[in-house]
Amino acid sequence: MFSLRQMPLSARVPLIAAGLMVLVGVVASQQVLSALNRVQEARLRELARLHVDGLAVALGPSVLRRDVWEVYDTLDRATTAMAGQRMVLTVVADEAGRVIAASDPRRAPVDSTLAPLLPGAQAVEDIRLTADAPHVRVLADLTYQDRRVGQILSELDVADLIRERRRVWGLLLAGNALATLGLAIGGFLAMRRMLRPVATLAGHMAAMEGAPRAIPADQVPRGDTELARLFQTYNAMSGAAEAKAVAERRLAERERFVSLGRLSSSLAHEINNPLGGLLNATDTIRTYADRPDVVREAAGLLDRGLRHLRDVARATLDQNRLDRHGTPLTPEDFDDLRLLFAPEVSRLGQRLDWVVTATAQDMGRLAAAPVRQIALNLLLNASAAAGPGGQVGLEVTPGLSLRIRDSGPGLPEPARLRLLTDDPVQPGGGVGLRLVRDLVAEMGGRIDNAKDAGGAGITVTLPTGAAPC
Amino acid sequence: MTQPTRRAFMTGAAALIAAPSLLRAADPIRLGLTPVFLDNDAEVISHLQLALGQGSGRGIELSQRRTYQEVTGMLLEGSVDAAWLCGFPYLQHENVLSLIGVPLWRKAPLYQSYLIVGAEDAAQSLTDLRGGAHAFSDPDSNSGWLVTASELARMGERPETFFQRSLFAYGHRNVVRAVAGGLTRSGSVDGYVWEALAKVEPSLTAQTRVIARSEMLGFPPFVTRRDRAGDAAVQALQQALFGLSGTVEGQAALGLLQLDGVIAGEPALFDGIRARMRDVQGL
Repeated sequence: MFSLRQMPLSARVPLIAAGLMVLVGVVASQQVLSALNRVQEARLRELARLHVDGLAVALGPSVLRRDVWEVYDTLDRATTAMAGQRMVLTVVADEAGRVIAASDPRRAPVDSTLAPLLPGAQAVEDIRLTADAPHVRVLADLTYQDRRVGQILSELDVADLIRERRRVWGLLLAGNALATLGLAIGGFLAMRRMLRPVATLAGHMAAMEGAPRAIPADQVPRGDTELARLFQTYNAMSGAAEAKAVAERRLAERERFVSLGRLSSSLAHEINNPLGGLLNATDTIRTYADRPDVVREAAGLLDRGLRHLRDVARATLDQNRLDRHGTPLTPEDFDDLRLLFAPEVSRLGQRLDWVVTATAQDMGRLAAAPVRQIALNLLLNASAAAGPGGQVGLEVTPGLSLRIRDSGPGLPEPARLRLLTDDPVQPGGGVGLRLVRDLVAEMGGRIDNAKDAGGAGITVTLPTGAAPC
Repeated sequence: MTQPTRRAFMTGAAALIAAPSLLRAADPIRLGLTPVFLDNDAEVISHLQLALGQGSGRGIELSQRRTYQEVTGMLLEGSVDAAWLCGFPYLQHENVLSLIGVPLWRKAPLYQSYLIVGAEDAAQSLTDLRGGAHAFSDPDSNSGWLVTASELARMGERPETFFQRSLFAYGHRNVVRAVAGGLTRSGSVDGYVWEALAKVEPSLTAQTRVIARSEMLGFPPFVTRRDRAGDAAVQALQQALFGLSGTVEGQAALGLLQLDGVIAGEPALFDGIRARMRDVQGL
């Protein structure tokens, strides 16, 4: 059902204003009609009073004598003289209500009773114009020489008053309808104009698509009005929100480096440790240059060490390349991840369970960069949660499903909120897990969090049906 | 009825008050009238006054009263020199009154009394009107009372018991109005007035219907007191009346009255009324 509450403010307020105008019009019309009615009734009362008083003066002596002809003659002449005027019927009766004569004896024969004509008869002072009745009956005492000698019942034609009232009603209705319509439209337009900035503001807010957009200066209302201040406040807020979004984007961008940064010392060890052996090998070559078997062994050692260093460097570079979005995921990417992550595991004395059962075919439809980022961030988080001597595991199964397990106590609440909800990121926490959430969402995947006797586990399921990003 | 007593009193009073006519020789002629005419009394009076003034060479003073009784009283006590009365009051005071002239209507000094009812009324005769309301013109009017009362007397009835209610409208036109307006079911009216009204006010008479006409009776005459019949004023008035049809003003007045002229009438002209008076004697 249509509801006023569902309408936009810019339409609702002008409509309410227009409605109020109509209401004012209706009340004003009612007042005018009521005043007209009072004036007409007062006029009619005065006319009736004059009519009755005039007849009483003329008829008094005849009524006192019960002179049928004289009473009739007076009434008949009065009727003829006032032909086309207000008097329709006048009946004169004695005190007992017996008709002496009437202006129309056929309606009220001589010697008949006045009773049949009494229903609806009103006293002069109480005359009311009722509904659309074209005639009004008035009953008054006929007094002569301060004595009540009879009664006068008159039927007065009020059709002209009724017509006048109808005409005024029509004019008033038409006039007020026009005026009200004008006022209503004027009010509607004025309110709409006044509320246009609100519509502009609402439009900007609705169109921002997650990013508040500042309103151009030429659309800001002039002067120091509430609306101008509202616009300024909105612009300031949109600026702040945009700055925050930029900062968040920058932060997310950095997160990739952060995850590597966290690995940097481990990686430094990974590079540094073979260096001693490699330098010994060069010394050995130099010292035993004449012994080909020793040189060959030392060169083999050098080759293996340098190849390892090359792999580590390549994995690190790969992790940080920004243009890898088009590269499809391969099992080698998980080898790279293991290479990068293993030093951290060994530094903390943790045990790593690494199972990749998915084939290149299972992975081929997914982009490498986001999956590597997701896995690395979750592995680092798991390693931190498992603590020194703990246990961390990765299982990649067709589907594609990444299951990261650790022996830690499970996700703390702030981390869970970052990973599983869109709630605002609490100050002080990292944005790594929120980045995982955003990446999974972008890929149309799902994150499940479960905790059992074996520890905490997070499963990321990524759809493989979609085309590579 | 108490009227004979009043009439006797008035006659006596008139005789006592009567003064020598010579003293009033230069005075205007005073003529008493009843509202026997149509609705335009003022115009008729004005023309009649002018025509009679020219014809008599004297000023004319017209005194109109509401009832025959009042005019008869004025004549008897001498405050008017002559009066245009109905044949009924003339005969009531025949011993002291004398004819000056009788108007001609439709070439004859005769007229009828009409019994009228509302145009839609189904009544065919007087007997059908029993129990209804009836309008008479004047208790001293021949056509407006005597004719109907004598008809009832011949039936052994009296107006006040035959009719449920009867009223006097004091004017033949008023009788027509009463019946036309529905105030009464029926009315007794001067046939001359009804016919004259039918010409000048046909919308009024059209609301009535004549159900009975009397025999021809003597037209309402101009009369004077018998003892003043020889007065110069009365003589001058008589000549002026006889000469009305010979002057322009007179013809204008006669035209308004729808009369043809005035002739000297004989008392025998009123024998019909006399007979009806006898019929109501016992009432």
